[in-house]
Amino acid sequence: MDIKIDNLNKVYGDKSVVNIDSLSIDKGKIYGIIGPNGAGKSTLVRIIAGLEEATMGNPIYNGRSLDTKSIRDITYMSQRPYLFRTSVFNNIAYPLKIRKYDKKAIEKKVIDIMKEFKVSHLEGQLATSLSGGESQKVALARALVFEPKVLLLDEPTANIDPNSIELIEKTISRRNKEKGITVILITHNIGQAKRLCDKVIFMRKGKIDEYGDAEKVILNPKQSTTKKFLSIYSM
Amino acid sequence: MEYIADGFIEAFKLLLSLDQEVYSIILLSIYVSLTSTLISSLVGIPLGFFLGLKKFRYKRIVTRFLYTFMSLPPVVVGLTVAVIISRRGPLGSLGLLFTPAAMIIAQTLLVTPIITGIIFNNSKEQGHVIRQVCKTLGGNRLDTLLLLIKEMRINILIAVVTGFGRGISEVGAVMIVGGNIKGHTRVMTSFIAMNHSMGNYSISIAMGIVLLAISFITNSVLYKYVAGD
Repeated sequence: MDIKIDNLNKVYGDKSVVNIDSLSIDKGKIYGIIGPNGAGKSTLVRIIAGLEEATMGNPIYNGRSLDTKSIRDITYMSQRPYLFRTSVFNNIAYPLKIRKYDKKAIEKKVIDIMKEFKVSHLEGQLATSLSGGESQKVALARALVFEPKVLLLDEPTANIDPNSIELIEKTISRRNKEKGITVILITHNIGQAKRLCDKVIFMRKGKIDEYGDAEKVILNPKQSTTKKFLSIYSM
Repeated sequence: MEYIADGFIEAFKLLLSLDQEVYSIILLSIYVSLTSTLISSLVGIPLGFFLGLKKFRYKRIVTRFLYTFMSLPPVVVGLTVAVIISRRGPLGSLGLLFTPAAMIIAQTLLVTPIITGIIFNNSKEQGHVIRQVCKTLGGNRLDTLLLLIKEMRINILIAVVTGFGRGISEVGAVMIVGGNIKGHTRVMTSFIAMNHSMGNYSISIAMGIVLLAISFITNSVLYKYVAGD
């Protein structure tokens, strides 16, 4: 088991935005979180990433509460990632620099991952001047370069071109298979959830309405709310 | 209109004549404003980051006070400082009234809220994002602080240059606490005000040109950094 959530609650003012009784995230699997806007998907993922504190209950990672050491195994990428005001190379190298990798190791890892994401030609370019698809690829390369154990993605392919989507999906899938990385992915793209995910979680009003194998939930949803959501988003 | 043109000609003559009084006034102005900007930066930059990034009780009230202090009337600051450091005031024994130190204190009080406010406004938006990205990439507190400074260097520079601009162009407070004493506390702005009231337009225009030149140079430095983007 990688991540365990029990009786997790997040309240803003007097509104409960996430209220989960129980959820287990197994190591080496890809989880898709789907659901309408305001369902609490992003808040849940941000709590797992340690970016927000739950009002009650906290995620347990490998049997322990998230602390400054364990949080270094987890990385998170938002829909509109922030790239540093420096070159693409320096952006990707950043997580390695703060982990005190030596210069040669940094160079090798950054060059390798730039090839993997097909962004080698952007090496010296200012990262803040990149297009949407390029930014997304560079941000994902930066998130993966230090080989995290858990990757949290909040709509990583929203509003980007099909070629970039394909490359990002392939890379996530390959990293999952080869390195055993656990992935939690928020997506509104049902096709993407079906292609990439082992399990799918359908959230609505802060709760998990349905959870199970990706194919089963997407092709044969049990809950009427899931059916209704899928019928709209699969169109 | 002729006197304006004459004024400009006189101004250039004055600047080229290497008049010692003029240059000592320029140097004192730069010294007072640079020192007050440095002190204000040391206080205002960390304070601005703290206010922008930390959640705490009464933050709204503190923010309102900060915005009010950003538009403090210089004469009020000058008067307050003068009352405190005057012979009968609580810090009268230090003998600071009518000294450059008093002018630095007054300018620091005017400049600090401006630098704090600019850093606060920028860090409450951009700072949060930078902090979160650093955390998700495995950065600790020191990494976050260094990254914040690096990523927001232009904002910091803008805050410092704006603060310096406020300091060097200020006249009310330095006039009250400095007294515009020749060879001791006379700075560019008080010199211009005094000469204007005496009808010496050419010399006032000369000093105005110097003030503009200093403003131009500081802004050019800023744009050089921005252009390096």
